[in-house]
Amino acid sequence: MSDVQIALTNTAGLSSVMSFWVFVAANGFSGLRGKLNSIGGWTMVVGFAALTIAIILRGVEAARFPLSNLYESLLWFAWAIMGGYIWINRAYGLGQLGWLSSMVAATMFLYGSWLPSNQHEITPLVPALVSYWRQIHVPPLIVSYAVFFLSGLCGLLQLWAAGRRQTVYSSVATIAACVAAIVLGTFSKVSVLWLQLLFVGGSALGMVISWLILKHVDEGRVNVERAGIYDDVSYRCVAIGFPLLTIGIITGGLWANHAWGSYWSWDPKESMALVTWLSYAAYIHLRIHRELSAEKLSLVAVVGLILTLLTYLGFNTLGFGGLHSYGQFK
Amino acid sequence: MSGDPSESRGNGKNTATVSFVASVKLTVLCLFFIGLTILIGAWCPQESQVGREKVFEAFGEQAAPVLIQLGASDIFHTPWFLFLIAMLTLNMVACSFQRVFPKIRSLKTPMPVLSGREIRRLPFNKSLVLPADRTVSATMDTIAASLSKRGFKVDRREDRLVAEYGKVGRLAATITHIGLLTLLGGVTITSWTGFSGFAPVRLGDSMSFAGSEHSKLWIGHLPEWKVRVLGTRRENYPTGEPKQWYSDLAVLDEKGKVLKTGQISVNNPLSYDGVDIYQASWGLAGVEIAFNGVKKELSLEPMGNRYASFLPLDPDSVLIFSVMDQTSPLRLFAKRTEWDAPKRLAEIKPGQSVDLGGVKLSFERVVPLTGLQYKSDPGIPVVYGAFAFIIVGVLLAMIPYRHVWAQAEIGKTDSGKNESGLKNQDATILYIGGRSQKARVGFERMLQSMLGRDFPEGREVEHEKGGEQLIGAAAGEPNDV
Repeated sequence: MSDVQIALTNTAGLSSVMSFWVFVAANGFSGLRGKLNSIGGWTMVVGFAALTIAIILRGVEAARFPLSNLYESLLWFAWAIMGGYIWINRAYGLGQLGWLSSMVAATMFLYGSWLPSNQHEITPLVPALVSYWRQIHVPPLIVSYAVFFLSGLCGLLQLWAAGRRQTVYSSVATIAACVAAIVLGTFSKVSVLWLQLLFVGGSALGMVISWLILKHVDEGRVNVERAGIYDDVSYRCVAIGFPLLTIGIITGGLWANHAWGSYWSWDPKESMALVTWLSYAAYIHLRIHRELSAEKLSLVAVVGLILTLLTYLGFNTLGFGGLHSYGQFK
Repeated sequence: MSGDPSESRGNGKNTATVSFVASVKLTVLCLFFIGLTILIGAWCPQESQVGREKVFEAFGEQAAPVLIQLGASDIFHTPWFLFLIAMLTLNMVACSFQRVFPKIRSLKTPMPVLSGREIRRLPFNKSLVLPADRTVSATMDTIAASLSKRGFKVDRREDRLVAEYGKVGRLAATITHIGLLTLLGGVTITSWTGFSGFAPVRLGDSMSFAGSEHSKLWIGHLPEWKVRVLGTRRENYPTGEPKQWYSDLAVLDEKGKVLKTGQISVNNPLSYDGVDIYQASWGLAGVEIAFNGVKKELSLEPMGNRYASFLPLDPDSVLIFSVMDQTSPLRLFAKRTEWDAPKRLAEIKPGQSVDLGGVKLSFERVVPLTGLQYKSDPGIPVVYGAFAFIIVGVLLAMIPYRHVWAQAEIGKTDSGKNESGLKNQDATILYIGGRSQKARVGFERMLQSMLGRDFPEGREVEHEKGGEQLIGAAAGEPNDV
């Protein structure tokens, strides 16, 4: 890795941390909120630009498309989260989403920096990855995961604005348990069965509790207008992420058929991607059906976020194995 | 699987005609249980892919038999999963024909004209008092021009205007459902006529299709021709890691006549007569050596980056032959039980010999082995067509379907004072409103900003709050995804 590439990646990481604190500060100084949100947004733009150049440089240095291992995919994910937020911010101006998305981006940078050095280095591709299909199949998936994250974060904000604070606390605790399972799965030797139980059991229990306490409304803190905006943005993100996920899954099938003659083999990762696809298909149908309230749909978006987390990082870190082991490093 | 929005908005007539089989409720239930089942299948190693021993390896001697008994280790072939797929298929077929496909007709249906009162019930609506110096025609022209600039198709009439955007997006559900049904058709063709298999083939040997796998209900046929491996090699990175595997193949008929030749590598198959042959794996099968001119082939086993063969000489000693690839020298080691580590005896280049205490050991050659995966999938063109439909369908779903109505009517200004300073005077009121299921906030902001630019002098008429939402059918059902 060249020094310029390292410097640009670090700039992007620092920008995400700085923008997080600026957005947080905007909540503390209501008089300066507009200005601080604007500074936070521009800091994110700087980070996004630096990361864009860093990814391009990595590709030039490696003489291949720079998306072949977990570290590179984390860079792409952070890039998509930052870019997605910049796009949403331009259209809607959501400062609250700013600190959440910059926190996610910063977490991805941090997680990436903790990975073993061989992940950071540019290494040769295994034969299975030497294909033009790699650049067609993987980017839509990573971008869709990032957009689904934004949708889930908007879901949390919608619940908060709708006065469902207990549900938000429960959902955040659930997501924290899932993240803890992934971190432990990456950096510790805890049995994968316990970690799988923590992730899957914890998220199932957490989401059931969140659903049950959804009726508890803090009437004094309801902001109908903001809740409407977050609901709208959450749906918009799903409307963009769903086609990307579909394209990613289908191009994966085309690649698999081209490479080893089977477009579907129930590999754990592709099965999980299908589960995520089914969950968002259900979200869209529920949305059209309009039986569910915006709050319930927001909770479905949070469930989608957890499934996305499981698909993207969980299956590689919680010992599910399969053909998509390129994201593993143990 | 896509639902008609009017169904859930209390339209009793539609609710009555939509059966449970075609309902969105069944769709969501099927999606939930299929998702849950697949999740279990992804969590538990599947016997059909990795073998039963992996299930025991993952869950131990106590839990594994329970999971096997419950069907979790072969969940995609359980009656439960097949039942769920059948239910979803039934639901999709019923829903598609009952509600989704008929929507194609709605593309030709002109948008309804709404009165000012109806426009006021839209999610976004404004009632603006037109200044006396502004004619209705000029007002409508301005709105039409602004909406056209934003991509709306405008139907401009005397004192009213109807505009829509993204009508093609309404086809999203229809095209996606056509794609999903086509996919089912393609998968069925594959299941009834396709076959597949894997064969490790040594250099110079041939592969037939006799051991192919196919479904129980099968009406296809297996080819008579064979594939011979003329050459195979591994290409390495400078670090010694494999970069690519290549195999030169010849397709031979029953009499041995060459029908086609070609080189395959990972991601680059050879196709002949509807059968695709893939480079799936690569290795070294054995090493040919000679002891004092007597040839012998020893089987090789992978040992990290190298391959090795073990030749016991007596109960306490063994000869170890180690080789890295087809061109590298053969390393010869000896190991006795009392030694801590093997001792290196010699390194022999291909075609050369060494003397081992009166025994001449010759290294003839290494025999490589190529792993060939093959399949015949007559359903592929249909499946690819389905993929194309699905991708187009979901991309169309990104387009928001939007409506704008504008109507100029003479009415009371209701409250405040008009430009002549009189209260509750008759004046020309411009009713403008619209709706967008997706990107609603952006749509409303766009209209707000457009009105602010086009009618900076416009004063809004205040109405009483409340009022029911416009019925979707009357508004052209703009809720498709």
